[in-house]
Amino acid sequence: MKWLKSWAFAAVPLIGIVELGAHIAQVRGVTPDSDWAAAKAAVSSEAKPADLVAFAPRWVDPIGREKFGGDLATLEREAPGDVTRFPRAFEVSIRGAHEEDLSRWKKTNEQKFGAVTVTTLENPDYRPTLDDLVADLNPEQAMASRADASGESACNWVVANAQTGNLGFGPAIPARRFECGGTHVGVSVVADMDYYPHRCIYAPPPGGNSVLRIKFANVLFGDVLHGNHGLYVEAERSRTGSPISITFSVGDKKIGKATHQDGDSWKGFEFSTGDMKGQRGDLIAEIASANGNRRMYCFEAITR
Amino acid sequence: MSAKTEKPKALATKAAAEEVDWKELLTFPEKIGWRDHVVGFSIAAIYAAILIVTARTLGFARDEGFYFSAGSSYARWVEMLFHETSRALERSTVDGVWGQNHEHPSLMKLLFGLSHLWLHEKWGLFQDASTAFRFPGMAMSGMALWVTYLFGARVFSRRAGFIAAVLLGAMPQLFYNAHLACFDAPIMAMWLFAVYIYFRSVKEGGLWWAIAFGVAYGLTLDTKHNAWILPAVFIPHAFFVQRKAIAKNLVLGRVIVPTNLVTMAILGPLVTFALWPWLWSDTAARVQEWFNFHLHHTYYNMEFLGKNYYDAPSPRAYMPVLIVASVSGITLVLFFIGAFDRLRAMFFRFVTIVEKDGDTATTLPSEGNKSPIVEDKTEADILLFLALCAPLAVFLIPTTPIFGGTKHWLPAYPFLAMLAGHGFDMVADKADSAISRYTKAIPRRELIHGALIACVLIAPIAETAHSHPFGLSAYVPTIGGTAGGADLGLNRQFWGYTTQSTDPWFEKNGRPGARVFILDTTGEAWSRMQEEGRMRKDLRAVGSPSEADFSLVQHELHMNEVDYQIWEAYGHTDPAYVLAHDGVPIISIYKR
Repeated sequence: MKWLKSWAFAAVPLIGIVELGAHIAQVRGVTPDSDWAAAKAAVSSEAKPADLVAFAPRWVDPIGREKFGGDLATLEREAPGDVTRFPRAFEVSIRGAHEEDLSRWKKTNEQKFGAVTVTTLENPDYRPTLDDLVADLNPEQAMASRADASGESACNWVVANAQTGNLGFGPAIPARRFECGGTHVGVSVVADMDYYPHRCIYAPPPGGNSVLRIKFANVLFGDVLHGNHGLYVEAERSRTGSPISITFSVGDKKIGKATHQDGDSWKGFEFSTGDMKGQRGDLIAEIASANGNRRMYCFEAITR
Repeated sequence: MSAKTEKPKALATKAAAEEVDWKELLTFPEKIGWRDHVVGFSIAAIYAAILIVTARTLGFARDEGFYFSAGSSYARWVEMLFHETSRALERSTVDGVWGQNHEHPSLMKLLFGLSHLWLHEKWGLFQDASTAFRFPGMAMSGMALWVTYLFGARVFSRRAGFIAAVLLGAMPQLFYNAHLACFDAPIMAMWLFAVYIYFRSVKEGGLWWAIAFGVAYGLTLDTKHNAWILPAVFIPHAFFVQRKAIAKNLVLGRVIVPTNLVTMAILGPLVTFALWPWLWSDTAARVQEWFNFHLHHTYYNMEFLGKNYYDAPSPRAYMPVLIVASVSGITLVLFFIGAFDRLRAMFFRFVTIVEKDGDTATTLPSEGNKSPIVEDKTEADILLFLALCAPLAVFLIPTTPIFGGTKHWLPAYPFLAMLAGHGFDMVADKADSAISRYTKAIPRRELIHGALIACVLIAPIAETAHSHPFGLSAYVPTIGGTAGGADLGLNRQFWGYTTQSTDPWFEKNGRPGARVFILDTTGEAWSRMQEEGRMRKDLRAVGSPSEADFSLVQHELHMNEVDYQIWEAYGHTDPAYVLAHDGVPIISIYKR
């Protein structure tokens, strides 16, 4: 014991050496390009368009997108409404990380390519998508209008340059969009309060008595209308804005209404459409808010 | 013959005398003196030289652009002061020039500007204008190491001072900040300098040291507003040191204030006022404006443990977690050893006094029953801990903004390093006593000391060298390095300074005249990078991804929103290139 006390000081230089060793190991522990390339080859040979490809941890996503390319790292995969619509996922991970949203999925395969692990997972609750409103937002399948006490005016479909800006600009105003006199309806990508991306229909409500109305033609219904909605992070994080409601209806029949309060972030909703299962019809979404100030609202929905 | 024999004898005697002189010259007496300044200066010069040599590989932080501009104006005003004095002193001229960037005091910007004017424009000492602008900050950082050595040598030992100086320089995030034409490394240096001069004023006594301290405090106040906190160090300490005299005078119905506090209160503001012409008019209102700006500062976005903070309250864990994540593990181990020893010593001294006399108020002073050495050590310990804790304590207040990361508590680091130096002394002493059982041979002990020094310095130096030029992204092995920091969700950078590191990619891949969206990099910083050949001159900066052929995203959590804009505008998610440090994304370049 006395001997141990006398030589306890040696722990300090030892810590210094161990720290140096750890530093060298960490610096040399970078995933080589060859591992990414091998993982990409494996995923591209197996992944189908409907499958999810996700990178873990989230911070490695830019490198994943760079190495896998846009054909695998598509907008739909990178910015999903949620993961429930994918039957299968390829989780491409380093450092033993896992995507939390896939934690309940069933692992069916795992392949290691050096430092990169590709895990194949199956969605235990998968129900096929029948119709996707985001995909339907085009002049052939949808029309938008702005309605208030004085009447309803149709929004014009335009194809112009996308509008973007610096920090604080909010989601890009897409090139292909309905122009609705001070507001617009188009597909963009919104950052939620965790800064996660979601591809959705960017439709800021004008506020007051005005309602933004979007009619999706010939939608195929299933058991439910399932979706999510939210605002651009900086528009809702101070929690001072007016709530936003979205009401879905078919003809005179109201399917459901969801309300988004500031601070809800990206929030799901689901309404039963079982009585219309297998039928087609025009689905109307009405978006309203008492005050339109910085209501940078975005929603997405599918039928299944 | 005899004359012939006498002459070489005389020469030999002279040579021997010279030899003795050299020995004396190189022998350090017990008292700290000029030799220690030579050591301190050497450390400072080496550090500043390393900063100068590595400056060109470090891009410009957004605030530097504002300070380059303000500094240039201030320097031109100084020239005007010599040539057109009355015009320079007109209120309209003073306000026009010094109104620029008046939310921060003048000293460093003035030095940046004068350095640029003289060392770049007039004398051509620095080829890059930016290096000339940055030089005063680098010199200040070198000075911080010098003072750390001296302070550590005086309070603990020369060995402790040396270890402290090197450990301070080998802090990756300080090394980054030490390069910049900003105020964070300089305020660390000035904070330390003011505390050191105060320490000398306490030890040496006399009016001149008190005056020197008042001036030092004024210069610190004119460096950055962190100096507002410094009275929280000096006032309690000065009252502790003078408690006996204060108590005696109180009994006689007199209130006395320590001289150095008087000079601090009078000379400090006067020096700041004299060197900051913006305060020369509407002084009270402008001082109020200065305070208001910082007391109600806009919050910035900052990632901590995976969450983006943008408003109060700040998480209390922020400062301690970032210290553990960004200061080398061995430095912190030595700090804890040294700090524990000094706290224990203070505690036992306090307990002994209470037990012996029952009343600390009357017996804490050196009543003669305690040796002056112990009394000195207690005073020094209290000063070190106050100077260490004051800058850190601010970050435990929930209303203190989270923005800015580690740079805002840099003033604590010299004191952390000094206590680490003392920790090293303790380890080395233990090594001595353990080894002395086996050998008394001095050379062998010196060898072991050398090996010990190498063991504790090599990791911090290696980590700091490797962190450049991504100092803000780099985290220490304790938390798994840069990738460990990313796993934990710690901020990766700010101020858009990493843009310059994309130049090699643009050299190969950017088409002539391409438009580049530069996101967090200011137009001023971009232009200067192009002027100095750090970025291709034909590339044009634009204000949005839609206007650009290439778009940059400097990866911070809250910058993700720009990634998503680009995905939509460009129709794809894959960057053409991702610049990474230790496998962690720093900047993505998207190609339209």
